[in-house]
Amino acid sequence: MKKVRLLLAAAALAFAASAVAQTKITMWSHWAAEKIKRDYVEDAIKRFEAANPGVKIEASWYEKTALYAALKTALRAGTAPDFFYAEPDQFEYMENGLLLDLSSLNWAAIEPWAKEAWSYKGKPYGVPLEAWTVEVFFNRKTLGELGVTVPASLQLDSAAFLELAKKARGKNMTPMALGVGDRPYPGAHLTHEALLKKLGTQDYDNLLKGKLSWSDPRVVDTLRLVKTWVDAGLLPTTFTSLKLGEAHGYFHTNPGAATFLNGSWYTSRAFNPPDKGGQPVNFPLGIMKFPAIPGAACNECRTIAVGGSYVGNAATKQPKAVLAFLNSFATPEMANRWLENVLVQTGIKADHSKISGPHAGYFKDLAATSAGAKYYFGIPIQVMQGKPKEVFTQVVNNAFPAGTIGVDEVVKQMNAAYK
Amino acid sequence: MTGAPGGVSVRAGIERQPWGAIGAFLLPAFTVYVALTAYPVLRTFYNSFHRVLPRKGDELVGLANYAELARDELFWRAVRNTILWACASPLAEVTIALLLAVALYSRIPGMRFFRIAWFTPVLMSYIVVGIIWVWIYNYDWGAANALLRALGLEGFARAWLGDPKVALPALIFITTWMWAGFNMVVLLAALHSLPGEVIEAAELDNCGWAGKLWFVIIPLIKPTILNLLVLSFIGKMKIFDLVWITTKGGPLWSTETVSTYLYKRAFEWTTFDLGYPSTIATVWFAIVLTAVLGLTWLFRQRERLEY
Repeated sequence: MKKVRLLLAAAALAFAASAVAQTKITMWSHWAAEKIKRDYVEDAIKRFEAANPGVKIEASWYEKTALYAALKTALRAGTAPDFFYAEPDQFEYMENGLLLDLSSLNWAAIEPWAKEAWSYKGKPYGVPLEAWTVEVFFNRKTLGELGVTVPASLQLDSAAFLELAKKARGKNMTPMALGVGDRPYPGAHLTHEALLKKLGTQDYDNLLKGKLSWSDPRVVDTLRLVKTWVDAGLLPTTFTSLKLGEAHGYFHTNPGAATFLNGSWYTSRAFNPPDKGGQPVNFPLGIMKFPAIPGAACNECRTIAVGGSYVGNAATKQPKAVLAFLNSFATPEMANRWLENVLVQTGIKADHSKISGPHAGYFKDLAATSAGAKYYFGIPIQVMQGKPKEVFTQVVNNAFPAGTIGVDEVVKQMNAAYK
Repeated sequence: MTGAPGGVSVRAGIERQPWGAIGAFLLPAFTVYVALTAYPVLRTFYNSFHRVLPRKGDELVGLANYAELARDELFWRAVRNTILWACASPLAEVTIALLLAVALYSRIPGMRFFRIAWFTPVLMSYIVVGIIWVWIYNYDWGAANALLRALGLEGFARAWLGDPKVALPALIFITTWMWAGFNMVVLLAALHSLPGEVIEAAELDNCGWAGKLWFVIIPLIKPTILNLLVLSFIGKMKIFDLVWITTKGGPLWSTETVSTYLYKRAFEWTTFDLGYPSTIATVWFAIVLTAVLGLTWLFRQRERLEY
């Protein structure tokens, strides 16, 4: 009888223990190939699990395209994870009531513009972990060899930029690494940053939303300017097939390019060890502003986008645990840890004065390019929808910078897309 | 009642059919067919008349999706590309395959090696083939441009998958390279089954190599050729993987196929609506079915005329 009691007691204890550890929440996330970001999130998970012994987070890592396709199917079928990676242009999630309302998060710790990017009908839906700007990275040594000096303002004018392209081509070197083999947006950076400066934020917004014609003389002038850069051989001959990851290596390793126009998340790949695709040790990396545009309304304007974020599934059975975990990111400590480790901006308020670590200098350089900047929030494909977005991707992201079509064709195609 | 041999009536025979066992054996296959083929087809047809969104009831929109599709120039561009591919590719594949099969049939030196070498591409998935050809077509260091440069034809070197004028022919070349070997093996089997006396009779009549091929061999293996043409046509009307790996339909929709466009509308446009993509699928299914029935009818008519 005593043995039976002992067995029953042991069984009860085991049951109680399992009950404590039974809250399991699932996460699907991009960044399978971006170790720095993945390490950051895995570290956050470990910290959260240590602080909340009853909760276990099961993470699955994907590449973005595969993740998006899987999520669309899983959300339709009701088999999506409790929380997942998303970006604020995916407002179809919010439109269809698929996301958990995150109003109860500690929004005081999050930048107001980042909250705005994730707001839909007055409610916030995403934790804006990653924010990024479009940056012109350059190889200091190469620019020195080309005789190009970056001014103290960190901004070349458009003529000097054209000269840079010609000098690099003259030495049989690619002036700017960029490729659109697997992404719908990098090729468009060249044009949209120029248009933003020329038009200023309000008219640029009107242009992207179809309220300003692409035949506007300022738009046509800017496209002509970009065309001179393209015609000078600014981009790689493999531009149309070069993938984003390959473009990184193209810039810093093989064959090498003078500059690289990319999101400030460059670091998440480039600061990996060289044998894992990172830039060479002691690579002379510099960052400058996008070239100034003649007759610009706002040469200090630049794009900032909220990128990788986490959202809750509206159908989760563990909303409290999901909210608690997402809330764990909303602290200055977590923001600083993100900056120190990932070296990309974040939508969470950070105390920049406390940033330390081996790449602190890099972060100061990055901050310098944003000094005095006026921001437009979102890259074009985060603002556009449907046909204009598709046409923009094919025309402005791909065919125009590839040199396949001219300015008139861009204007015609974009105007037609909004009809 | 009609009597049956042995005095067993037909009705009695029917009554003794083991319907329970027949049902038990048919049920698994029938269930799989209904669940994975019939239901999805019917559901797609149903969806095409609705707006289908998660967590909301299906909203009947009548023919609105079909009207939108009729005005969708990207869809029609994809249709043009796909039909061009589906018409050009089978002719190229079967013609090359026939020449290769005849070469092997006439026992060229190294035939075992060539049979394996020519057949190998079809053993690879479109994913692998796509990656290999993206490399081959690379502007800077790809084999295609390297060969042209080596031959002094630098002027013809180009970004094969980045130029809208040549991207689709470049992809058609890949599928031709990939499938010619498969067609060759089937045609070779057909050649080996030909009656030897007919070939010998043609040789006795001093019929030359080309004459034998055109007047004797091709007519005899025509049913096989026609089947291969139809199979290849159907395959190209559905092509997706290769385009997705290499160009994603670009540049400027020059390689967009109906399948890639459908996928984009279902999974990449900022919408959850499955109604419009279902309309694309329904219309395309009807077009493919009509084309296949038309081809089959045409081939039968020609056979009737000849015999």
